[in-house]
This record gives sequence, structure tokens and C-alpha cells, in this order.
Amino acid sequence: MTREDIQGLVLTAVAGVNASRDADQQLPVTPDALVFGPGSPLDSLGLVGLLVDIEDALRDAGHEVSLSDSRAMSQSRSPFRSVPTLVAYIDELLASPA
Amino acid sequence: MSARRILVTGASRGIGAALVSRFLEAGDTVFGCGRSAADTTHERYTHFAVDVANEEAVRGMCNTIRTAAGGLDVLINNAGVARMNALALTPPEDARQVVDTNVLGVFNCTHQGIRLLRKSPCARIVNLTTVAVPLRLEGEAIYAASKAAVESLTRITAKEVGRMGITCNAVGPTPIRTDLIAKVPSAKLDALVAQQAIPSWATVDDVYNVVEFFLRPESRMITGQVVYLGGIS
Repeated sequence: MTREDIQGLVLTAVAGVNASRDADQQLPVTPDALVFGPGSPLDSLGLVGLLVDIEDALRDAGHEVSLSDSRAMSQSRSPFRSVPTLVAYIDELLASPA
Repeated sequence: MSARRILVTGASRGIGAALVSRFLEAGDTVFGCGRSAADTTHERYTHFAVDVANEEAVRGMCNTIRTAAGGLDVLINNAGVARMNALALTPPEDARQVVDTNVLGVFNCTHQGIRLLRKSPCARIVNLTTVAVPLRLEGEAIYAASKAAVESLTRITAKEVGRMGITCNAVGPTPIRTDLIAKVPSAKLDALVAQQAIPSWATVDDVYNVVEFFLRPESRMITGQVVYLGGIS
């Protein structure tokens, strides 16, 4: 799976999350968008839903990946801060041995 | 009520096996797991020889359920072990086994279960606790402590999954004649029953009644609750 594939999958998931959010709580669906933390309207419980959606999409694509991470809720070190950090994190997980 | 897809942990015997039987009678599709094989055979029942403390095994089971049924509507975290002993005489290895099964088992199954439940229109998690928690029963320190942890997991999980449309509650039975308490002196159990507001031995049907209440679609606003049998509070 290329980084572009992962990015597409993440952005699709973000767009899916927006479908159930109010108009003033929409997440930007762009390659450099913030996902979680200061400046993002996504709270920790919203993040859980997004990450599970991404796990599902990865599984559907044939990749069993768990996005559970001890740094998940960290404001400064979370791999889920932005679309680029999330894409890099997933790419790293896919490259690491199972 | 339409058929539900239900996973019951600790389904090989005791309360778990009885709940499986009730759900099958109700027409549900039931998955069960236990460290041993189950006596239950039914066209709508699938048993997994899985230790809930084994995260990888739980993940594999949930993936199989996902493939077979597309998801779950109900998760019953029933699997539990008890080591009734004074704390000073409880081998540390026994304590670890209790925590592994009773606490990490609930964590593992809930962690994976959320992923299977969240697309259900009526998603429910029910955990099994015990009256040993509110009664602070001597001789059951590690067991009661593990179930106190289950109650905390219940309440906090309820907050975390409520927005996904999943409720999470717990039921705490009073003594029921199952293997779990087979080694507890009968005089101790009789004394325990005697201090209940309703001083009778409970049955699996009493547990099933509370579980079914939590599972009803009308119970969508009931979450984070712990219900004890027998008037214990």
C-alpha cells in the first residue's frame, strides 16, 4: 500500500466522520489537515470513531492493523495529530513485521 | 424482536452456558468462548476455545465473527475465575490469574468488541460483576477487587462508547449454584444469602432477566449501571 493509498483511505474516513457531524464541527478533508489536538474540532471520543473507521478500511484492504497506541491522547506526541502524521504512522505499522 | 448476534464469554459452563441456552431459545445467533470445549451444540451456536486473557486469541475470534456474521449486537463479558482465599494465603500466581481473566479479559473482549458492535442499531455490552464488591466479602479480596475493576470499566466504557450508540452495563448476581462457588463452604454462602433483602438463592433466570432488560431496544438510555440481585446495594 503506497502512502498515497493510505492518505486516500484516511481522507475517505475523515469525510465519513463528517457525515455525522454538525456543519460547524466539520473536519477539513485535506492532505495537511489537523486531526486531533489544538485547532481541531475532533475530541478524544470522536478520534476513537475515526480510528476504528480507518482500521475497518485497512482490514477491508487486507491489512490487519491496530491503531491502539499509548501516545494516542497525547497533545504533543500523538501520531494522530494530523493527516500527515497519521499517514506516516500507518505506513510505519504496515512496514513493520506482524 | 429480531434475532441478535451475541458473543458470550465463559460460555463453556455455569452462567455463560445457561445464557447461551436462553439466547438460542430466543432465536439469536450465538458465539461463545471458553478455555474448554462447550457441551452446547446448535446450528446457531459457534464455540471458540479461547482464553479471554489472550489478546491475540480474542482478536482472532473477533475477526472470525466479523467474517461470519458481519458484526455483533451484544457482548456478554461473563468469563471469570474466582480464588476464594484470605489475601495473606492467596498465592501471587492465583492473584495474577484472577486479574488476567477477570479484568484483562473484559478489556480485551471490549476492546475488540467495540469494533464489531458499533454498526449495530442496538449495540449492548453487559459485564458480570458480583455482590462481593459492595459487601466487601472477606476471603474474596482479589476476586472482589477484580470485579470492582470490572465495574469501573463498565462505567467508563459507557461514557466512551455512548456516542457510538453502544450501552454498557453490569449485573451482579448473588450466590448461584455454579462451579464458580463449588468450593466455598455452604455455611458461608447460606450466611451471605441470609443478609440479602431477598434471602433466596438466585438462579440463572434471575441473571437472564436483568441481562434481557439491558438488551431491550427500549433500554437505550440505560448505561453505566450496575444492578445487583437480591437487594444488595
